[in-house]
Amino acid sequence: MPPEPTDEEVARRALGDKEEFALLIARYEAKLGRYLERLGVAGREDREDILQNAFIKAYRNLASFDPELSFSSWMYRIAHNETMTFFRARRARPTVELDEEGTSLISEIRDERADTAAAAALRLSARELGAALERLPQKYRDALTLRFFEERSYAEMSDILEMPVGTVSTLIHRAKKALREMLAGRIDI
Amino acid sequence: MTTDHQSGSLAKRVLDRIEGERVRPRPRWEFLARDWFFWLLGGVSVALGAVAIAAALFEVANADWRFWAATHGDFMNFFLSAAPFLWILALALFILVGYVNIRRTRRGYRYPFWLIALGAVLTSAVLGGALFAAGLGEPIEEAVGDHPPFYRPIEAAERAWWLSPEHGLLGGTVVGVSSTSDAFTLRSFDGSLWQVGADALSTTSAAVVERGGEVRIVGVPSKATSTFEGCYVFAWQVEGARRAPPPAAPFALRLKAGAPSGTTAVAVAAPAGAPGVPRVETFSVTARSNPCTGVSPYGSPRAISGD
Repeated sequence: MPPEPTDEEVARRALGDKEEFALLIARYEAKLGRYLERLGVAGREDREDILQNAFIKAYRNLASFDPELSFSSWMYRIAHNETMTFFRARRARPTVELDEEGTSLISEIRDERADTAAAAALRLSARELGAALERLPQKYRDALTLRFFEERSYAEMSDILEMPVGTVSTLIHRAKKALREMLAGRIDI
Repeated sequence: MTTDHQSGSLAKRVLDRIEGERVRPRPRWEFLARDWFFWLLGGVSVALGAVAIAAALFEVANADWRFWAATHGDFMNFFLSAAPFLWILALALFILVGYVNIRRTRRGYRYPFWLIALGAVLTSAVLGGALFAAGLGEPIEEAVGDHPPFYRPIEAAERAWWLSPEHGLLGGTVVGVSSTSDAFTLRSFDGSLWQVGADALSTTSAAVVERGGEVRIVGVPSKATSTFEGCYVFAWQVEGARRAPPPAAPFALRLKAGAPSGTTAVAVAAPAGAPGVPRVETFSVTARSNPCTGVSPYGSPRAISGD
């Protein structure tokens, strides 16, 4: 059985045959849907709108895809930019709804003070964390979402957010600090 | 935008829209052309930065920092007049424009601002240094400097600084040596003719006069109109200019000036930090006549004029 074609191979083939593009949509639909939800696009229909627009934009600009990047980062970038356009157009405030996946983020914040956190008790629900993320500036929320929920590397985040790796690192550091301050008293750290 | 949320999978809906809206992938050359366009703009900005650096180097090299005390009295005044602020501002602007354009190239986002700025400044500095060395600093500085109403090219500014006989500063072209060999005639930069006494000149200064060409003189104004007692004479040199220096037209007549035997050489400290300027210059002073007593080319104009 031949190996599954990579995203990059499918993208190249889709330039000549748009039906191939359906395979890429199928691969990314669920992942990007979750990503949009974590960015704060609460409505399912809104997410679908954004996804449709993102995929059409990706198809239109398929020839600009840089094979040195991963297709995944490129697709996330388009979805991210489309989401920001959506927020600006609707003047909508993001609504972050999290389930237990927020745990890794809380661990990460707490780890910064690991010496005192050994016996720390987690007293924060996913809902409270989601509410705190909502109040963070968008750029901080983007950084934390990509890093801790999407588990992206700094290099991938650099390609998605279109900023230098060093800036990504600074952003994550500041975002964690801002979140920690926002949650002061809610988690024992 | 109308969006169908109901019928079929997302993939099908997207493909239907692609079909319905006749969406086609844009050709690759469009993206490449866009990328090259921004690289080109970035490159042009760096090149303009090099032009700014060449002009700045010309300005710095020709401000003649040795004489700041004589021409301005106060170093801060001199610095504000001589430092190439316009060109530094222009360089900063071009670097910023270069950054914005390089940032918009395909992978431009990967480079931090400081890296692009440093690279652009270094590239501009190397190119600008080459332009200056090739003698292009002067035409750039003068051509651009002639246009902004608030800016005067450095050579014009410096000529104006040396048209201040009441403060012991005079600049111009030596047009003749008197038959009595105790004076020479100078056409100052504003076209006036001056008789400059040469009794007090050292042999070094006298040699500068005898070579002819443009000079700057530190001296003492006389009470008579259009006469001046020369104490020190320096050749008027333009650094980094492409044009040939004025042809030397040595005068047949020699000046009587010169250090007699038993002259004491006195070292006069030149201001520190002047590029290409020796730290110490030596003058023979025992042959000075009274008017030049206490006059130093690096002293303040107030001291020279005695006011």
